[in-house]
Amino acid sequence: MTSVPKIRYSRRSLLKTGGAALAASALPAPMVWGQSIRDITLRQFGTGVSNLNEVATKVKEDLGITLEMTALDTDSVTQRAATQPDSFDIADIEYFVCKKVWPSGNLQAMDASRITNYDKIVGIFRDGKLTPESTIAQGTAPHTVGFVEGPGGTEFVNNESGWMTLIPTIYNADTLGIRPDLIGRPIESWSELLNSEFAGKASILDISSIGIMDMAMVCEAMGEIQYGDKGNMTRDEIDRTIAIFTEAKQNGQFRAFWKTFDESVNLMASGEVVIQSMWSPAITAVRSRGIPCVYQPLREGYRSWGGGIGLSANLSGMELDAAYDYINWYLSGWVGGFLMRQGYYSAVPETSKDFMSENEWGYWFEGKESTDDITSPFGDKLAGAGEVRDGGSFYDRMGAVACWNSVMEENQYMVRKWNEFIAA
Amino acid sequence: MAAVLLSFLVAPIVMIVIVSFWGATEYSIYPAFQFDNYEFLFGSSVTYRVFLNTFKYALITWAFTLVIGFTVAYYLAFEIRSLKWQIALFLLCTIPFWTSNIIRMISWIPFLGRNGLANSTLISWGVIDEPLEWLLFSDFSVILAFVHLYTLFMVVPIFNTMMRIDRALIEAARDQGASAWQSLTHVIIPLCKPGIMIGTIFVTTLVMGDFITVRFMSGSQRANVGRLISNDINLLQYPSASATAVVLLITVLIVIGLLLRLVDIRKEL
Amino acid sequence: MEKRSRSFYLLSAFFGLFVLFLYGPILTIGILSFQGPEGGLTFPMRGASLYWFYDLFEEQAVGDIWGSFRRSLALGLMVMVTTVVVSVLGGLAFRKKFAGSSLLFYLCIASLVIPSILISLGVGLIFNQIGLPVHWASSGFGSQLTWTLPFGLLIMFAVFNRFDKSYEEAARDQGATAWQTFAHVVLPIIAPSLIGVALFGFTLSYDEFARTLLTAGSYNTLPLEIFGMTTNVTTPVIFALGTLTTVFSFCIIGVFFLAVWLFSRRKDHSSDAGQGMV
Repeated sequence: MTSVPKIRYSRRSLLKTGGAALAASALPAPMVWGQSIRDITLRQFGTGVSNLNEVATKVKEDLGITLEMTALDTDSVTQRAATQPDSFDIADIEYFVCKKVWPSGNLQAMDASRITNYDKIVGIFRDGKLTPESTIAQGTAPHTVGFVEGPGGTEFVNNESGWMTLIPTIYNADTLGIRPDLIGRPIESWSELLNSEFAGKASILDISSIGIMDMAMVCEAMGEIQYGDKGNMTRDEIDRTIAIFTEAKQNGQFRAFWKTFDESVNLMASGEVVIQSMWSPAITAVRSRGIPCVYQPLREGYRSWGGGIGLSANLSGMELDAAYDYINWYLSGWVGGFLMRQGYYSAVPETSKDFMSENEWGYWFEGKESTDDITSPFGDKLAGAGEVRDGGSFYDRMGAVACWNSVMEENQYMVRKWNEFIAA
Repeated sequence: MAAVLLSFLVAPIVMIVIVSFWGATEYSIYPAFQFDNYEFLFGSSVTYRVFLNTFKYALITWAFTLVIGFTVAYYLAFEIRSLKWQIALFLLCTIPFWTSNIIRMISWIPFLGRNGLANSTLISWGVIDEPLEWLLFSDFSVILAFVHLYTLFMVVPIFNTMMRIDRALIEAARDQGASAWQSLTHVIIPLCKPGIMIGTIFVTTLVMGDFITVRFMSGSQRANVGRLISNDINLLQYPSASATAVVLLITVLIVIGLLLRLVDIRKEL
Repeated sequence: MEKRSRSFYLLSAFFGLFVLFLYGPILTIGILSFQGPEGGLTFPMRGASLYWFYDLFEEQAVGDIWGSFRRSLALGLMVMVTTVVVSVLGGLAFRKKFAGSSLLFYLCIASLVIPSILISLGVGLIFNQIGLPVHWASSGFGSQLTWTLPFGLLIMFAVFNRFDKSYEEAARDQGATAWQTFAHVVLPIIAPSLIGVALFGFTLSYDEFARTLLTAGSYNTLPLEIFGMTTNVTTPVIFALGTLTTVFSFCIIGVFFLAVWLFSRRKDHSSDAGQGMV
């Protein structure tokens, strides 16, 4: 048997999985007692959206913690969080997934008093309100699954209890992406996704929990269905929604479905698709290749999502301390700036401001005209001077959220219908 | 040997059968004995359509791989005389298999896409004016990828049986005045039957169990049973995935059982 | 050499087309991997450079190609060795009828034909329910064996079915022990086929996707990593990887071919070598 030097079992996971893992893998296992925080390795997984190696490199530099990143697609992320508690220390998941993952007991609640910048976290993740006047959108809004009653809590509570399920990291307001050069006319409504003008050139994402929301936005915009709550549909509403899209699919409306945001980049960049549900970094990626692509604000509003990091229930002692250090570092600004320059929002925007130029802050957050070229953190040019971000400022965009990604009560039914839709 | 097969073949299958009767919540599965999963499976018209689709893919792929595979094997076995060349040409065919099949699969996408090599070539030759839409993300592209991936599984066993055909038999047929065609249909094909059967078994099972080719090449637009299962797995619906898996397993075993009736593999090796 | 018939040229042309068909996609990715830094996964090309080959050796935005490559290599070697050893032993055992031998044989066949994802699902479920962590070197390893072992065993069957027992008898008559007979007579004769089995085992494992999908645990093997990349990477770096592996395979096969050729010159058992490989 060959050993792979790079893989190292930390003491904790070794003790936990014990001889079985040793016998099965026969990997070298350093038993170093009294290790310092600099030796600690944390295993994080999440989607390719935020699980970026730059973050691991930077945290190694700043804190000395080794972060092992595994990037998966949205469904696999949920799957791993819910079923493989031993395979991770830190879960980078979306808020709505919490409803599925939390009851499994694989995550532990976090003590808000240990989060340095807790007070600066935007309202969306605390009381649900962006500004004191805002109304809360439909769906699984992050604050509704953001807190539990105490350290061992299993029920979500509707107030800031001081025990958090996830620490918010990034979030955004999503809409349709279009290729203005290939469409050649203004697009203003979600209903355009099913416009026969774009037959064979449209796409939607094949992630049921998110896709169904996009579908709902479209059906509502078309005036076909009036939903009680898009984030919690009835069986009848699900049936009718899926029926409309199945018909469109059979009429050849869609070119393909995509599962991760990079697939949507390829579809868009190659011109296979001209209008589709899309995520912000995908737009950024298409643009950085010099291809025109717009994240089109639509009159019905945005479908929004939020991500956060949760701690594995297995974490304790020094590893847990390291995880808290990591979280505090995460919210302290560098990551926020790094992510905001790709078009997401940071949970603690104020700290990120220090890591962005005035021009960048103005463009990405305040919706101001850029005064100079806007480049991505990877150095690609995204916009020239004098351009304005699609959809405007943070408050314009996050204030126009119509619905949050969600898990419905009829989720299992919806999933089966979704499966049928894909198979139809 | 037996232990490995028991723990990693028999046990998993038993587990799947058991779990197929379980229930699932959003995040976990719980032991139960219920027929819900099967009820839903057999109650939906989509299931039948998907199974039909799976058979369609298997059948068409089988037909193509058989014709291509047989021809290639025939060429290698009968037209190439020196062993060294046979091995060399054979290896030439296997090299692409060393590149990850996922990479090979997705490399069709730029080839067949709307602005891909195929379309731009055809347009520049003036064969077509508009890009052909059906080249990519269609049944055509799925089957093309299948044929591409699995033809070799047909070539190998057929070639193997051909190599063992006594050349004297063919000489004899020719001496008796049989035309090349007649000796092909009356001597070679019957003698190659075991190889064809083994190849058939490989290709059908590979196609029926596939899910990833269908996902990539159809842009998630088409479905076969494997995709149904993997969708369920992705969404943590293990019991319902297991139920579908059990039905697929039974179907595959029936198909293989039928094929095995036609040939005794053990004797033919 | 006798004159070739018309059918030879026709079939040669067909074979040529077939090879072209096999290599077509590889050529596509070969071309696309030489794009400039702005390139994407699709045509049209954007510039031309070796940029993505350099990039392949840099750290990627997500994932860990070389880590997964090392894991796949290790796993492939583990699977290869196990497959060779077990299939030789199995092949030897099957030369005599024993209780349950035909059951075991059909189990092998079943193992070959059962769709990979079912194995993956089943093994994943078992480990999950027992509470064992899934890991590429335990559950992943086992799942892959259900695929490579039957392959190896079938090849060994084919070899032993044609094995001339008189060699062994001759050795025994000369007073060789069972072990000596095996080491000095049987092993050299089946050696070329063993290379075939080894190569097969390694390739099948190295490229296995579905069986490892739910059984690899927190560290990806190369195919899983590539799958991850197809969904997470939008740059031609993935094509550069493909091009590189193809070139690498050419080298390996070249070496292998040379070895067999030298071997067959020395031993003159070339006919066995040819069959073992297929």
